[in-house]
Amino acid sequence: MPTGLLILADMWMPSADDLAAIGPLWGFVGTLVAILVAALAVGRNWRVTGMLAALGAAVTGWMALRTVMSPPTNWAGLSPNNSPMFVADQFSAFFVLLVSVFMLLVIGMWWMGQNAGLPERLSRKGDSVEFFILLIGSAFGMSMMVSTTNLLMIVLAVEMASLPSYAITAFRKQHAKAAEAGLKYVLFGAVTSAIMIYGASLLYGHYHTLDLAEIGRTIRIEGAPTLLMGVSLFAFMVGVAFKVSAVPFHFWCPDVFEGAAIEVTTWLSVASKAAGLGLMLRIISVLTFKIASPETLNTLATAIAVMAALTCTVGNLSAFRQTNMKRLLAFSSIAHAGYMLMAVAIVWMNNGSPTEGVAHPAFSAIVGYISVYLVMNLGAFLVVAMVYWATGSESIDAMNGLMRRSPLLAVMMVVFLFSLVGLPPMGGFMAKLYLLYALWDATWYSLVIVAVFNTLISLYYYARVARAMVFSDDGQPAIRVPMVGQALATVCALVVLYTGTVGAGTLKAFSDDRAKDLYAVVKPGIAVHTAAESARPDSVNENGTLWNGQNSTTVPNNDGWHIGLAARKVDSDRNKNGE
Amino acid sequence: MANILNWIIFIPLIGAAVVLIAPAKQAKSIAWLTTFLVFIISCLTFGPFLDGSYQAGDYGTMQFESKLPWIQVGGTAAADGSRVGGFNINWHVGLDGLSFPLMILTTLITWLSAWASWNFEHWNVNKGPKGFFALFLILETGVLGTFAALDFFLFYIFWEVMLLPMYFLIGVWGGPRKEYAAIKFFIYTLAGSVLMLIALLAMYFASADAMGGKGTFNLIEYATIPAITEMFNSPTLTFLGWNFGKAMFVMLFIGFMIKVPLFPFHTWLPDAHVEAPTPISMILAGVLLKLGAYGFLRVCYPLFPEAGAQLAWLVATLGVINIIYGAFCCLAQTDFKRLVAYSSISHMGYVVLGCAIMTDVGFQGAMFQMLAHGISSPMCFFLVGVIYDRAHHRDLNRFGGLWLAMPKYGSMATLGFFASLGLPALCGFIGEIWVLLGTFNAPFAWAKTAAVISAFGVVLTAGYILWMIQRVYLGKLREEYAHYPDATARETAILFPMAVLAIFLGILPKYTFNLMNGTIDDMMVFLNPIVTKAVAASSIVMGG
Repeated sequence: MPTGLLILADMWMPSADDLAAIGPLWGFVGTLVAILVAALAVGRNWRVTGMLAALGAAVTGWMALRTVMSPPTNWAGLSPNNSPMFVADQFSAFFVLLVSVFMLLVIGMWWMGQNAGLPERLSRKGDSVEFFILLIGSAFGMSMMVSTTNLLMIVLAVEMASLPSYAITAFRKQHAKAAEAGLKYVLFGAVTSAIMIYGASLLYGHYHTLDLAEIGRTIRIEGAPTLLMGVSLFAFMVGVAFKVSAVPFHFWCPDVFEGAAIEVTTWLSVASKAAGLGLMLRIISVLTFKIASPETLNTLATAIAVMAALTCTVGNLSAFRQTNMKRLLAFSSIAHAGYMLMAVAIVWMNNGSPTEGVAHPAFSAIVGYISVYLVMNLGAFLVVAMVYWATGSESIDAMNGLMRRSPLLAVMMVVFLFSLVGLPPMGGFMAKLYLLYALWDATWYSLVIVAVFNTLISLYYYARVARAMVFSDDGQPAIRVPMVGQALATVCALVVLYTGTVGAGTLKAFSDDRAKDLYAVVKPGIAVHTAAESARPDSVNENGTLWNGQNSTTVPNNDGWHIGLAARKVDSDRNKNGE
Repeated sequence: MANILNWIIFIPLIGAAVVLIAPAKQAKSIAWLTTFLVFIISCLTFGPFLDGSYQAGDYGTMQFESKLPWIQVGGTAAADGSRVGGFNINWHVGLDGLSFPLMILTTLITWLSAWASWNFEHWNVNKGPKGFFALFLILETGVLGTFAALDFFLFYIFWEVMLLPMYFLIGVWGGPRKEYAAIKFFIYTLAGSVLMLIALLAMYFASADAMGGKGTFNLIEYATIPAITEMFNSPTLTFLGWNFGKAMFVMLFIGFMIKVPLFPFHTWLPDAHVEAPTPISMILAGVLLKLGAYGFLRVCYPLFPEAGAQLAWLVATLGVINIIYGAFCCLAQTDFKRLVAYSSISHMGYVVLGCAIMTDVGFQGAMFQMLAHGISSPMCFFLVGVIYDRAHHRDLNRFGGLWLAMPKYGSMATLGFFASLGLPALCGFIGEIWVLLGTFNAPFAWAKTAAVISAFGVVLTAGYILWMIQRVYLGKLREEYAHYPDATARETAILFPMAVLAIFLGILPKYTFNLMNGTIDDMMVFLNPIVTKAVAASSIVMGG
């Protein structure tokens, strides 16, 4: 066994390399500490806290960007027994980037809100320290969610992301709706995590491991799906579906979105769902890793496809009658989660033979979609927020006549809305097209049809907002909006237009790069496989083990580049066999 | 961008940006200048089409062609830069006998409608001209791009680009029920687009299968590369249990027929027309409806000729229903604009019938009818607009004797409506007679019946037009209309080019046919054998 891994296997202590692999997440940790120290040093000053949080998000984002821009080099699992507790590949780095960039923008929104002259009751400037600790804590949890394939870590990450989210939802303490939203959120969350942990314990009891990859291998060997497997997997996925707000676990979403402060709503609408989707991709791709024809998992595929179709249809149909903009966008976010869930249903495509340098279609589709969704959804929320700050109303009527009251905002909002519909030449269309392309490639025609007809349905309620802004002018006075907000909305709109036209290819190339060499990795210095391993008889592998002979023998990876997960399995298996 | 066609497509977009930056007062002049400039530049492309020298003997020879890689990602790169197993999307535009005449029509009608929107009452109210003209110019880019696009993906993008401007143009500057009309237009058209999107994906993947993973969206390659045409028209390839070619043909056809519009998806049109302001009606009737029929000729028939020949009876039936049903609807209208709108439905029926029979005469007739209708119907809508500006109502039964009050306008109106009626020596006649003759001679068993029924439509057309002229322009001059000023210089100037063209096309149709015959002949080279085969097959079935 290679020395490097042996050391890792035998020592609980993570090496400096391992700590470096966590990389960008240190940014969040450091920011948490900095905010606490600053609060002790200079007292409760919302400007200082906000600045520190923004700085922390920027630094984290910069570190993640560096990881994204450089090819995967150097990670190893933090674990006593070689199972990948922490995954650091392009996809997880992308997620940290996404979360930190988004957090930066949300902080900008929060800042503008503080300056918008709202009553203290609503803004709660004094509690900014707690607010940012919670916000960054949830960001940390969300980043962890997409960086692990270990049951225990998953549960920890989901809780880490959820608990602060409950608190910031109810943060406007004197606001009855916020308290109600927080309570609903926490009750729903508690029940679903209880089910999730129950599922995790069943899985552990049955498979004697916390490592999902190991579980996947056993499932493959077992052949036919057992009832226990179905029940425990389902229970486990409930917690994730809750984060994604997939139907039928979506009921919290509109109430929470309505009750929470608008910055918090924005935060939850993208970051929380993105993390849930990332986690779902991780779970399923690892469970089916290296399985070319996942007959045993067909049920799971169908279940997710049905859930995706339901999620986007229910989301779109429920949005029809909403009169509160935040509720409307909440249902819209459910619908978009549905589109993205469709990609989860094809996650085992190409899993049978992951090749170096070839993008995984499902991961790529989700990265592309979520990148554009972040921008267009943030833009839409930003416009709603600015109207709210000026008028104190979140109703769709507050948008009436916006074309006259603030033409720039209205035009930007039109771009965001129709990008959310998925109309060319906006980025939302390209993102959806790439998603549909992946679905089609996986021969999920029915999902393509569901998706396109949902696009058609969704037009109606998005157009209703456009109608309010452009057609129904009831003579409300013109509004004054912060210059920074206008600039930010304009930038978002330009990004949306750019990704829909000239930048469409860049979007695809970017998302493809993030979906390459998943779980991979390993620095060239460490030889992860040896001649002895290559010489292992193939019969050992035929029972559906996670690797196959081809991967360790015929792929020319003299420099030690390897699919990390597979390599790890080799080692842990050898341990079992008493080698 | 050195390519003249690229400039034609993008100048309106630049104009839109200028309109937004410039003061509101200048908006209408800028729009006028931009559309006029585009018209003049597009006239510079007449060269190769006038003498027929553009005809090269095989379908897909393009003039002013421009091809640049746009989205080439995913999969692995081939030697020529295209992607295997990824996306190959190009900026690919060009003109041939199908797109060129329609492009000229677009630039002309857009220019005239920009002029026609000068005296909007809205300009005095709170709805600024900046937004109107900016959207108007974006719409022109969308239309021109759709006509010029040779890449199906690009075609789709431009097709969708038209939606938003049109939605707002109707919804903001329209009549009392504008919001209803606008959203109806939007949802109907998007429903068609959604089907087109499915077909787009299916065709891309099929072409990738045929080309060893190197998918293409190129409409010309779809129709001319044997591997792809065999795949597209293969009797064994299926899509969701249907024959692939037929499924694609039907989905694309529905997408396009909504735009035409064809019964039973025609109901958005009268609403949209009645609520839309005059210049937007002119564009809608003159240009936008043609996009659907252009889609048939550019996409449906060259790509899926087998399915087209097998389903010809269905398409022809829909065309005949449109002709007759539209005409009957006209007879029942009391709203002037609604009547003209339904007459559009009736006239577009001829276009569809001409396409259905898949012969050279049919296609020529369809193309000619598109141009003729593209001239006569904007003229009619403008004539209605002129009178609406003065009377502020459109109730046919409340008019009378207008010719006496407005002699110049009256003569123009008669000319315009007679052109629409299909009076010999005016443009409408040639298109209709060509389609009817073509149908009569078509090889299909049902063709003669279809021709006879459609010919009856001419009588109905004469009926509703003459009745309308009698109610509005003839008879005793009513008191309240006596003081109406005659057509102004601007109104005459807008009507004049259309009137001249209506006569020119009617008397010397040859020059118009020359513009398109080359390409249609090229298409017939591969369409004719397929039609013959299909007819033979069906007669065996019938004989047996």
